[in-house]
Amino acid sequence: MAAKSRNRIIRWKETLEQLHFIANGSLSIIVFCVCFAAIVTIIESSFHMKIVIQNDSMVPGFAAMLILRELAVVVTALLLTSRVGAGIAAEVGTMKVTEQIDALKMLGIPPSTYLVIPRLIACTLGTVMLVVVANMACLFSAMAVSNSYLGYPPAIFLTAMRRFVQFQDLILAIVKAAVFGAVIPLISCYFGFRCESGAEGVGRATTNSVVVGSIAVIVLDFILSYAFSYLY
Amino acid sequence: MKIETKVGLLGLGAMILIVVFAYMMGLISPFSNTNQINVMYNYAGGIEEGSPVRVMGIKVGKVKKISFEPGYKTPQGEETKLRLQISIDKKAWPTIRKDSKYFINLAGVIGEKFLEISPGSAESEELSSGDYVRGEDPPRIDQLISQSYGLAGKIIELVEKNEGSVSNVISQVDRLMTNFNKTLALLDKTSKNKDMARLLDNAIKISDDMAYLTGELRTKKSQDTFELIHKLLFRLDPLDGPAIRKFLQDEGVRARVL
Repeated sequence: MAAKSRNRIIRWKETLEQLHFIANGSLSIIVFCVCFAAIVTIIESSFHMKIVIQNDSMVPGFAAMLILRELAVVVTALLLTSRVGAGIAAEVGTMKVTEQIDALKMLGIPPSTYLVIPRLIACTLGTVMLVVVANMACLFSAMAVSNSYLGYPPAIFLTAMRRFVQFQDLILAIVKAAVFGAVIPLISCYFGFRCESGAEGVGRATTNSVVVGSIAVIVLDFILSYAFSYLY
Repeated sequence: MKIETKVGLLGLGAMILIVVFAYMMGLISPFSNTNQINVMYNYAGGIEEGSPVRVMGIKVGKVKKISFEPGYKTPQGEETKLRLQISIDKKAWPTIRKDSKYFINLAGVIGEKFLEISPGSAESEELSSGDYVRGEDPPRIDQLISQSYGLAGKIIELVEKNEGSVSNVISQVDRLMTNFNKTLALLDKTSKNKDMARLLDNAIKISDDMAYLTGELRTKKSQDTFELIHKLLFRLDPLDGPAIRKFLQDEGVRARVL
């Protein structure tokens, strides 16, 4: 009995489908974008360090730290906000406009459980997985650029990285990913549920969800970084 | 491919990447080929877990663990309270002997701390994994500064207490220097004097002649002459007084006759 009720709260099939849409569907675009962001970070850092101290030997280390703690996770979250957040807001908004949500209520199915929880779980898990993959893709692309552009072979890159980066940095990135992953569907569902009638209403809900989602990601990133700076 | 498989593969890939990251960071090393030793210090000068270990400047391992051991004493009875557990690559292991020394050094632009091991002599025994050795405590800059501060204070105190004698010493040194300068000036003048110059010229000529003479003495002719004189002396040696007298008398007689 208890198992049945749990199954109703978490709809695994729907969750899995959402996970596939969020994680597998966004993988290529996220890896592509974060790799370029990492390459730009390395090249820019080297350029700045050469101006400031005429030496860029520390660049692989602190660029890796920046990539791991901030860049990969924020770029991934922002891309997911625009791809997944907009999708969820449009989907839920359309359901609201076409009165499918009312129909769910009439059938005695709470729409929040039916629509929000699978997306919440899927987006949280999906963002965590994507951030891990994005981080490693970033590091490998940074390593490749350091080798070809700065002339630091992977061994030197790793030595410099070990000097700055700790394993906790990846944990911090994963925690951030989980928080962003939870916030994106919540904001999108909120705007979807509050969607006004007509195509215009759906469009506005989608726009608002992306804007608020992006702002939330950036503000939460600041709060989490600030909080983690006290931990270590 | 089913959705479940695709999602599962992505999740598995993410987990593998976390393990790869841990391996890159050196947290796990399944293929490690290292030995471990414990280096004891009383002061480790800011070294951290993960700091590199070098032998003759080449990285061969890292500091694995730092722990405090309040009760530890070396076999010589010295209390050392800080234990650095370090891993060393097996390829560098034979160079580390019982008489190796363990220093804490500073390198790089950012002041990275590392543990430098000086190679031991070949006659010394090899260490075995897990041994305890005593490290060389690095000089403490704070202690050095406080000691220099104390020393400076003592010098100032000494000068202030014996102000009279110190100024006296300084004035005497000053006078000595003046005199010394005068003597040097006199010597300079003397060396420029004409007589002095002639004297020096003659001395040079004499030494040249001496060199020529000694050179001549080493020639074959001189050797022969020397040998002839030697032989002559050898022959003259047995002649005693009476014989000479007799000879002279005879010769005298002969002279008178002739």
